[in-house]
Amino acid sequence: MTQNAPFFTPDRSQYPAKKADGTLDIDIASGKYLKLWQGPNHPGITGNMSVELTVCGDEVVEGKTHVGYLHRGFEKLMERRTFIQCFPIVCRICVPEPDFNEYCYAAAVEELAGIKSPERADWIRALILEMGRINSYMMYLGGQAGALGLGVIGQWTTYARDLMLDRFEELTGARIYHMFIMPGGVRDGLPEGFDKRMEETLREVESTLKDVYDVMFCNAVFKKRTVGVGYIDPALVDSYGITGPNARAAGVAKDVRKDQPYLIYSQLDFEPVLGQDSDIFTRADVRRRDVLVSVDLVRQILAKMPRTGPLMATVPNVLHWKIPRGETYIRGECSRGEYGYYLVTDGSGYPRRVNVRGPSYTHAVSLLERMIVNLNISDVASLMVSLHTYPPEIER
Amino acid sequence: MSVRDLLSPFAAWKNLFRDPVTIIDPLNDRPGAPRYRGFHQNDMDKCIGCGTCETICQNGAIDMLPVDGIETKQGDSGLRPRIDYGRCCWCALCVDVCMTKSLTMSNAYTWVESDPDAFRFTPGVDKKHWDNAELGYHRPEEHQLMAKVRLPMGEMEPETRIESFAEIVNGYTIEQARLEADRCVSCGLCVATCPAHMSVPDYIAAVRDGDYERGLKLLYETNPFSGICGSVCTHKCETTCAARHDGDPIAIRWLKRHIMDQVTFEQCRDIVGGPRPATGKKVAIIGAGPAGLTAAFDLAKLGHSVTVYEAFDKPGGMTRWGIPEYRLPYARIDQDIDVIRSVGVDIRCNVRIGKDILLDELHNSYDAVLLALGLQLGRATRIPGSEHENVRKAVDLLRQATAFEDFGPPRQAVVIGGGNVAMDIARTIARLQKKEFGRVQVTLTALEDLAHFLADPDEVKEAGEEGVVILDSRGPRQVVIENGQVTGLKTWHVKAIFDEQGRFAPSYDETDEQMHAGSMVIEAIGQMTDVSILGDTLTEKLTWNRGRLQVDAGGRTSEPWLWASGDMVRGPDVVSAVADGHRVAQSIHEMIAETEQPK
Amino acid sequence: MTQFDEGMAHGMERLRSKTTVQEILEVATGFEESARNFYRDLIPKVSKQIRYLVEELADEEQAHFDLFASLAQRTDIADQVKIEIERTASDSKFSDCLHLPNLGEQPDDQAVLQYAMGREHAAMQHYGELAETAPAGPIRELFQYLASEETKHKLELEKIYYATIHRGGGV
Repeated sequence: MTQNAPFFTPDRSQYPAKKADGTLDIDIASGKYLKLWQGPNHPGITGNMSVELTVCGDEVVEGKTHVGYLHRGFEKLMERRTFIQCFPIVCRICVPEPDFNEYCYAAAVEELAGIKSPERADWIRALILEMGRINSYMMYLGGQAGALGLGVIGQWTTYARDLMLDRFEELTGARIYHMFIMPGGVRDGLPEGFDKRMEETLREVESTLKDVYDVMFCNAVFKKRTVGVGYIDPALVDSYGITGPNARAAGVAKDVRKDQPYLIYSQLDFEPVLGQDSDIFTRADVRRRDVLVSVDLVRQILAKMPRTGPLMATVPNVLHWKIPRGETYIRGECSRGEYGYYLVTDGSGYPRRVNVRGPSYTHAVSLLERMIVNLNISDVASLMVSLHTYPPEIER
Repeated sequence: MSVRDLLSPFAAWKNLFRDPVTIIDPLNDRPGAPRYRGFHQNDMDKCIGCGTCETICQNGAIDMLPVDGIETKQGDSGLRPRIDYGRCCWCALCVDVCMTKSLTMSNAYTWVESDPDAFRFTPGVDKKHWDNAELGYHRPEEHQLMAKVRLPMGEMEPETRIESFAEIVNGYTIEQARLEADRCVSCGLCVATCPAHMSVPDYIAAVRDGDYERGLKLLYETNPFSGICGSVCTHKCETTCAARHDGDPIAIRWLKRHIMDQVTFEQCRDIVGGPRPATGKKVAIIGAGPAGLTAAFDLAKLGHSVTVYEAFDKPGGMTRWGIPEYRLPYARIDQDIDVIRSVGVDIRCNVRIGKDILLDELHNSYDAVLLALGLQLGRATRIPGSEHENVRKAVDLLRQATAFEDFGPPRQAVVIGGGNVAMDIARTIARLQKKEFGRVQVTLTALEDLAHFLADPDEVKEAGEEGVVILDSRGPRQVVIENGQVTGLKTWHVKAIFDEQGRFAPSYDETDEQMHAGSMVIEAIGQMTDVSILGDTLTEKLTWNRGRLQVDAGGRTSEPWLWASGDMVRGPDVVSAVADGHRVAQSIHEMIAETEQPK
Repeated sequence: MTQFDEGMAHGMERLRSKTTVQEILEVATGFEESARNFYRDLIPKVSKQIRYLVEELADEEQAHFDLFASLAQRTDIADQVKIEIERTASDSKFSDCLHLPNLGEQPDDQAVLQYAMGREHAAMQHYGELAETAPAGPIRELFQYLASEETKHKLELEKIYYATIHRGGGV
């Protein structure tokens, strides 16, 4: 930084100066900079992580994502668990939408063990994944609105999500950690009268979304704070590994369900939701419309799924299940983007390596650290939420 | 940005006119769903303490612990799962793998307690408010993590097997054995049940891994008669197998046999490792059956010089002279015994103690003498006509059949008895009849009704398939003799054989008399030991217990130099005799070690 | 079972002539005494291995002896007998199919058991016949009672016989 430079310069990207090795030349003692920790206890953070901001005035000059608040070492834990014992662990890697962990893990184990899950189980799996997606988006909408002070949105979406949790409870036996998609299939079929209650829930979701649209999306304050803010250049999508709504809002039609259909998605009729402007508002809107797609998909699944047939493939005795040497990567389109499980087996009864590819890793670390520069402090929370971050995916 | 964007947010106010969605009293108005995975329940009438729940619990939340008032018994460890709710994650894998379906989850999810330790509790034992809740997660019927059905053992068709004495069963292939071994949950209830406490789950694991060397090593740790037991063991282990509560028990005996099928004699010999350095102590053993030879094997491995005296011309005891070849080929007996010989056991056949050598001589020239005489003598019914020379005892005929002696198989035979020996002789006679006369005519009459037959159900089934006519609940009345020839057996119907307490209390119906034609009547009832070799003086000196020699836990009789073991003490069973052989060998060795110590 | 029939029949004839309950009990007690003495004499003759069996038989007869003797002392015999015959044991005919053995010098366990069962059987039958021919009243009831006692004993012996001979050695 040059001594004579004016305090405010129009081009923040020139500021502060860089040292010879390319790092920023920030001298805290100069009094021009301030370290500001957003999180881990802060309403403007997604929990279990924090962003270390270096600000100059109210502008961010540098941001660093810090994790380490919930390090359970899920991946390492799994290396000391039998294949069936990993099944109750994986859901913990993403609390609001745990089902992708269950599905990806089960599918990876099935592939390496040479097992095919029954068709009826595949339909139920897809149903659960779409239900989870709706829930995850509902939680996001509340968070996105909350980051800008629109507290009431969170109350409404939480109510709709709660109804969906009731459906989860009656189907899987649990509200949050469903533990229902097992290697080999699913635990049980749909309970009696499930379709009717699900339809009622879907209507509530739709009606809530309508209210959310009126109050959040047709809202001058919300637009003022989000339109044009947090722009992601479509050119960054591939180089930064951006997936899901973050990519689709930039006009890049990435959706694993379409690109590499898994389960029964090839039999469903839907189009990925796209946006143009790639700002916070567009990303929120893509997600809002994605909920409606999921609502439609749930209806399609319930209409098309077989109601009889096996739910579990024959699996070896789970107490000493050994899987031959092999490796695989299983992916699925979760609410945040591409969710993936890389599983390596070595012929023993334990996974040699499980690697979880959570979309939050690229979104909330590399991408966020780039996007946060030059942002106004007050927009940091909104930006971070708009990338839809679930920190356990970062530190598995 | 438009006017709408300024006005639309005020739509939120409409909620003022909506009813609240909050549940007023969630503790009472919000029960868990019917499938809810709530607090655990455990049905004490069903739980067998197999510990499979503990094994699968990835949190280590379950500990199997003894509970006051629940006794350890056959097929029940007496332990019950205690769950630590500080660790439990309610995944319900414990419910999914529960072998008896005793463990379930209620739909209760509220539990308030000031003492944190209270959340570590034993469901079903510690009374809880949800104990009788009907809703909650129960393993769905189709949701089966364990294969229920035993892999069928391939065997010869009845028409083929009746033609010869060739072994009936094929044994598992490697693929079949692995699948069957895979069903085992390694609970170990079988280990407690097996008289020899064979490490069943471990050798089954060896089968799964295809590591037959390891399996063989495990077998020889507890049972030098593994080849024989693999074919004819009474497999009590399978009656306590956890898998039998919801499916077939694991085919433990066939898996043991499979290991023995997969290894060579040389491997067996190498595993037991040849003779040991000599201690200079000598032990004489009378009777080369499973008990005597097991003791001989153990003692020889400890370095003692062991001589086994056998009255017949080949060793093996009842496994050779009692069990027909179609159940246990002689080569398998020879192999087991050759391995025992390889550790230095000296087996002297055709030596009858009391005739060729006196027991006193053994007493004088050996440090210890072990009686392992077995139950060689058949009991007689002593019904009228039973003194006829064509009323024979099953054990005698089986012995003659083994020696390939021609005892003149009858065209038509009647067997008295419902145990395995009765089946053995009926099926042996059937084979001989088939060969000689081309048709089977054997009638088997038993006092017991079919449900109380002492014979293995497989034996009863197979005998029937081979053409043996099995008549249950028939009490022998009289052997009919006409013109000096046996023409058949008269029986009375047995109305009931046991009283309500399960004790023997037969009641005969003399109005239902039947005549079963046959030129030979074969008695296959109880057996006893020929104790005549003891002589009058020793018999008088020894202490007896209801007809059997009184022995201590180590098999030692009231005479300090004399031990007794096997069928003559324990009743007939190969694996029990093996177990007894180990105990006696240990006792003899301890005695020798004591006398070795400087006073 | 002629051997028994003759011996017993003679004794039974003696009983038939008795008219009081006490008198009958005295004779019956005498029967038990002679049976006990018989088994006691047999004890040293059998092999030590099965001596327990004969000892138990002697003890059983002694117990009967004591029972009848004490009953004879009581004044309310008739009532006691009445209560007892309500639970009369019924014969199962199991032992009917057995030969009565010649005990000889060194009988084995099976012979001893068969002999004992035969004795109880004969006694049971004879008391039964006496009961049928006696006039209704305390005398008949006493005979019924004695028959029932012998039947019980026979059933007990049958259990031992089955366990020893049919499942001998646990086959």
